[in-house]
Amino acid sequence: MNTSQIARLKTLLQTALPPTHDGLPSRDLWPDLRRRIAAESEPTARFSIPWFDWALAGGVALVAVAFPAAVPLFFYYL
Amino acid sequence: MTSHPYLRAFLAGAFVPTLVLPLMLTGFIVLRLVLDVPFPFERGIIFPMALVPSLWALWNMLWLRSSDRTHLAIGMHGALLPFLLVPGGALLATSLHVLSIGADGVTWFNAVHVPYTWIVPVFLAALAAYYLMWKYVVGFLNRTLGIA
Repeated sequence: MNTSQIARLKTLLQTALPPTHDGLPSRDLWPDLRRRIAAESEPTARFSIPWFDWALAGGVALVAVAFPAAVPLFFYYL
Repeated sequence: MTSHPYLRAFLAGAFVPTLVLPLMLTGFIVLRLVLDVPFPFERGIIFPMALVPSLWALWNMLWLRSSDRTHLAIGMHGALLPFLLVPGGALLATSLHVLSIGADGVTWFNAVHVPYTWIVPVFLAALAAYYLMWKYVVGFLNRTLGIA
């Protein structure tokens, strides 16, 4: 590829790609990024138990209270 | 950590029942050796001590192998295990004379009587408990060991 071809390719690329705006963002984006990194690294923020699972756990506890003799059987299968 | 995924799945699957084993052993020692209960618990203890951990481990390996095709969540996959464990355990317990089947219910270890009317709610609770354990404990271990 000679120099003129490279120049032509450069022109074609420049016309095909939209120009980027050189202006700065309207506000400082660094605090948002820091919050995001902190939220992702904090295990409690990621770990949430849906209500359905709480309901299931409550049902299991209810059955264990209602049928206490079944608890050792449960451990037999564990 | 990309090698031996099935070995890691085996270890993650066997984790929960392995934690329960000391409790089973403690219960066995207290009942048989301390309280001198005259029932041979050791006959029935083979199921929770030898077979259940292996079945959990193999079940997790099966999930690892099939999840790409089935897209079944780990909790749902674990909740299917009692459908295999309960009949298998009952069959083994009956053949070892640990479980006796009566007219109004079954009796485990000559001591724990379970009426037939209990079986449905207790089985549903077992499904729920398995779902939660597989979703939160085995799922966490799978993620920690890099296979989920």
